[in-house]
Amino acid sequence: MVGIAHPTSMSNIEQLLVAGVLIPLASFLILALCGYRLGKPLAGWVAVLAIASSCVLSAAALVKWHGLDEAGRLAARSAPVLWAYLGSVPLAFGVNLDSLTLIMFFMVTLVSTCIFVFSVGYMAGHSDEIDGLSKFHRFFTYLSLFGFSMLLLLIADNLLLLFISWELVGLCSYLLIGFYFHKKSASTAAIKAFVTNRVGDCGFIIGLGMAYLYLGDLSLSGAAQAFAGQWQTHGPLFSQTFLGLNLATWMGILLFCGAIGKSAQFPLHVWLPDAMEGPTPVSALIHAATMVAAGVYLTARIFVLLTPEAQLFVAVIGCITLTLAALVAMVQTDIKKVLAYSTISQLGYMMLGMGVGAWIAALFHLLTHAFFKALMFLGSGQVIEGCHHEQDMRKMGGLWRKMPVTCGTFLVGVLAIAGAGIPAIWMPNHTPFGLGGYFSKDEILAVAYHRVYGEENVAADAPVGRGEAEASPHTGNTAVVAGAAPIQNPKSKIQNAALPPWLFWIPIIIAYITPFYMLRAWWLTFMGKPRDHHVYDHAHESPLMYLPLVVLALGTFFSSYYLFRPLVADAAPTPFLTAAFDGEATEAADAHGLLIGHTTHAALARIVGGAFVVGFFVAWVLYRRGLGLAEKLATALRPVHVLLSHKFFFDEFYGLVFVGGTMVLKAVSYAFDKYVVDALVNLSALVTERLSWISGTILDQGVVDGAVNGVGRGTWSLGGLARSPQVGRIRNYILFAAGSVAVVVLWMAFA
Amino acid sequence: MEGNLLNWIIFLPTIAAVLCLIVPSNRAVKVIAILASGVTLALSLGLFPHFAWWGQDAAGIFGGAYGQKLYEVTKFTWITLGEGDNATPIQYYVGVDGLSFPLVILTTVISFLAALASWNIEHWKVNHGVRGYFCLFLLLETGMLGVFCALDFFLFYIFWEVMLLPMYFLIGVWGGPRKEYAAIKFFIYTLVGSVLMLVALLAFYFYAPVGHRTFDLLKMATDPEIQQAFGSATFLGWRFAPFMFILLYVGFAIKIPVFPFHTWLPDAHVEAPTPISMILAGVLLKMGAYGLLRISYPVLPMVGPEAAWPLAVLGLINIIYGALCAMAQTDFKRLVAYSSISHMGYVLLGIAIMTPAGLQGAMFQVIAHGISSPMCFFLVGVIYDRAHHRDINRFGGLWLTMPVYGSLATVGFFASLGLPGLCGFIGEFWVLIATFSANFAWAKPAAVLAATGVILTAGYILWMIQRVYLGKQREEYKGFPEVSFREVAILVPLAVLALVLGILPEQSLFRFMNGTLNQITDLCARHGDMLTAAVGTFARP
Repeated sequence: MVGIAHPTSMSNIEQLLVAGVLIPLASFLILALCGYRLGKPLAGWVAVLAIASSCVLSAAALVKWHGLDEAGRLAARSAPVLWAYLGSVPLAFGVNLDSLTLIMFFMVTLVSTCIFVFSVGYMAGHSDEIDGLSKFHRFFTYLSLFGFSMLLLLIADNLLLLFISWELVGLCSYLLIGFYFHKKSASTAAIKAFVTNRVGDCGFIIGLGMAYLYLGDLSLSGAAQAFAGQWQTHGPLFSQTFLGLNLATWMGILLFCGAIGKSAQFPLHVWLPDAMEGPTPVSALIHAATMVAAGVYLTARIFVLLTPEAQLFVAVIGCITLTLAALVAMVQTDIKKVLAYSTISQLGYMMLGMGVGAWIAALFHLLTHAFFKALMFLGSGQVIEGCHHEQDMRKMGGLWRKMPVTCGTFLVGVLAIAGAGIPAIWMPNHTPFGLGGYFSKDEILAVAYHRVYGEENVAADAPVGRGEAEASPHTGNTAVVAGAAPIQNPKSKIQNAALPPWLFWIPIIIAYITPFYMLRAWWLTFMGKPRDHHVYDHAHESPLMYLPLVVLALGTFFSSYYLFRPLVADAAPTPFLTAAFDGEATEAADAHGLLIGHTTHAALARIVGGAFVVGFFVAWVLYRRGLGLAEKLATALRPVHVLLSHKFFFDEFYGLVFVGGTMVLKAVSYAFDKYVVDALVNLSALVTERLSWISGTILDQGVVDGAVNGVGRGTWSLGGLARSPQVGRIRNYILFAAGSVAVVVLWMAFA
Repeated sequence: MEGNLLNWIIFLPTIAAVLCLIVPSNRAVKVIAILASGVTLALSLGLFPHFAWWGQDAAGIFGGAYGQKLYEVTKFTWITLGEGDNATPIQYYVGVDGLSFPLVILTTVISFLAALASWNIEHWKVNHGVRGYFCLFLLLETGMLGVFCALDFFLFYIFWEVMLLPMYFLIGVWGGPRKEYAAIKFFIYTLVGSVLMLVALLAFYFYAPVGHRTFDLLKMATDPEIQQAFGSATFLGWRFAPFMFILLYVGFAIKIPVFPFHTWLPDAHVEAPTPISMILAGVLLKMGAYGLLRISYPVLPMVGPEAAWPLAVLGLINIIYGALCAMAQTDFKRLVAYSSISHMGYVLLGIAIMTPAGLQGAMFQVIAHGISSPMCFFLVGVIYDRAHHRDINRFGGLWLTMPVYGSLATVGFFASLGLPGLCGFIGEFWVLIATFSANFAWAKPAAVLAATGVILTAGYILWMIQRVYLGKQREEYKGFPEVSFREVAILVPLAVLALVLGILPEQSLFRFMNGTLNQITDLCARHGDMLTAAVGTFARP
């Protein structure tokens, strides 16, 4: 591994993390082998205990890490362990120890712990048997496996290990979406999720092939170094092009394909809304807080391999996704579907952030989003559970009386996703107040603004650390060196060019729509008058389920700028990301939580600072008296409403083209197999049989028998044997074979 | 004495087959068969010390040229052909190297498990002739082991034929409704292949320069004069080497099976009883790939670069066409059979590109498929025993009916699907990456096409799982008993092997075979600059 002498034995921090990964695995094995004996609720508590201990371990690791200086942190990384050779390339797996891993690890285990506890309450409320199969322990078996896979994904320091754990979380997602598999819709949704993800994985595998061929290393740090080396020497990745883009860009785009699948980005976003077939805690944990964010995490990890063109691709995909999803979210009536589309939209924001170079902001948004989205999903789970599995918001309303805690905590989530805060427009040097989303989403937008309208280029100002890294390749192989990556590739056409303005303006418009559809969901559910008394009368909430809500709500409050962002910033791969903005931003750093100059901030605050107020207001006006006004509006704008409520007809289109196309292909293939290939085989058998009949009946009986009259009876019986098709075929065949071999032998002997 | 171990492994089943004819009761026959295949398995594990990495320096396992690192060799002249200068020994020559060792272990493991799976033969539709069944079964095992161990072409051919006949009867007598059709189709197909092989066998003998004539496969590959002669000769106006390569290829392609010689496989599988399907998929299909790597490429390395693109195209057809056909099936066993065709496409693709990574992947896929497909066939057998039909569309909710079985089925089918962490992934991934990085103009599009096979595989396997295992429980299946202890004892070892291979590919497989595979690529690389340029050789630890 590039000559860096890492200790071969694991450091304490690594041991803590690895133990944190293995404990859920142990829990999975225990539950898989004897979960049915543990029963309800003990099986659940085993899983909770496991993930909670992982959480404690990761907290300990985080504290330890915090106390280390730069040298100590480098020393804490041990050498990876050889797994296998792919051709001549050794594949070695180790722990990717940096601040991002640690904070993600902590976030995932904390959110998981909350959701596992919630699940114990949620699943206990369901009847224990589906058709005789106990499902309680099965649920926690899958959840434990998910915990293991997800945590493995976080600590993976190798693209292949990342891919392996990536597929394992995909498996868990499949199993959990299809958890109520006696319902056809659930198992279909599970297949859809898995296969759609495979489409993305297909691109990812090709991307891995490119990394293997051109970089010769699949470890994150090794690949980054080789990439930087290729750039410096103008290697094949940068000198060869395909369809007008250089291979480096293609590699980035292909690797990003994996993230498109997993993070439900356009055009592979179709599986996530259907994934809501799974139990609600699963939607909260896997399909909102952690797994779907893994795509963003992957993009963050391969960020150093993305050329500016590839970054633009990421940004455009993110921008399309966040727009489509937000528009669809406005008209959904199923509370979980609203949350699902809002998740897609927020993931789009994160991808946009990655694409415009707001690495820190995007990950910061990932962390804050994990808390508030898990919070809202669990809230919706509480509502659905309390309302006897009613998910249609049109039948809810006025539930705040029955579920005050849920209502309040849900509102915290709504405020957070809407980006609510008190912008410090009027007092620029004052500390603003805001929830997580306020800082993180605005920071993404600020960077986008900067890339669109900023002075010249951000990148050129950057004192990039390339020189240092190249000068001393022995000082570190970690993400720090990865900072040497050529974010500003001089050969690239769009290198310093400003991004197209719509990459800034569309997300701004959507920032107004987000508060609208979230407040709409909250209002329809909790406020107003009860619209269905049957639902309303049953509504209740239970402490095992709302306590996690409170914890998550607190997390949403405190997952703010001051707690999470420094750690994320700490792990940033490129010095330029911090340095560039720091340069002009030192005194502005406190202003809005953005390390960007006054001008950017002030402009942005004017445009978007009050977006949540506007969005909330419109939603309140529209829905304060129930559904009447909204329905009138829907009738007035019928074509638009149809388009949106049918989700832009993606499902219909894919179903027709891809599923239908495959069905046609499979039918054609099998018909070809049956009526052409196999028919030819049978035809040749038939021909041989006929020939045997000619030789047996005509020649043998007719000619030979006719000529040699005396031995007719004997020949007759032989001929009769030959008439039986199978025996005839083999006998004649062997005769033929032996004869031809004899001919060849004779010919070769005398040739 | 060194060498005896391997002979015991090969011929113990034959001895047991003879015993089967003598002992009085059917029960004793079954016990003898299971004991014999069990002891064979145990003996074959005795080969491990030769290949284990502990206590040996790496060069001891991996060093040397092709054919120099053999273990448990027995070699003596069996028949002498010709006289004087022309005298050529036909040898009894057996031994194992990194190529055959994993296949020998696979054969003994699958044979033992298939013997266990035959325990309930009295409950089959054709339940007579227990004695004959196990006798043929054990002869088949000898044939298979012999094919993998033989290093003399003549001996190889003999074992190849020895294996053919028992298989014919096992399908033809104990099979399903169309057993005669399937058995004959299988028999004739394989016979066509072996006749072509016989022509090549004789041609190899006659075209070697006088004084160098031999049937020794290793000598043929390494003797420069023979190689020179093979490289320059003509045969009926065609170049000798490609012509022979095609003859051998057809023989092996029928076994793999490669499009368009594949249609015997679904029929044979559907009609064969479950244990025979396990052997057919687990071991017999592997002989084609083994033959290519043991005979075609080492003896005719000059053809490798020319053969690359046609074989790769056929491999791609297998992958995609096989997957599409699998998707169209409603018979559970046919579906698994077509999935075998699809999976073996990766093997052919990996062999075609002839890089170390490609061969690694191809051989890993061979072994991985040898574990996952018998498991899948047995899984099908388990419900066939209960439901007496295999129509996918008539099943549903079986996971609810038989939870343990459902969980094991998930492991088996996900291994087949190529889920990371299980054995199917490694082979596919290695082949895809190797193809992408191979030094051919068509390599990258081929890799992209092959990668789409990954999506189709997920499609047909998950769709099948949905129709068979998920959904509502059906009334008619509610009474099905859960898998028995015997069935679990067959499924669990396969599941464990699938896991171990998937998690520790280096320790469980690559370590043993990389040395020999490297020697084979070295051998071929001498004949084609393009191959050396591709990805180099193995890094030797």
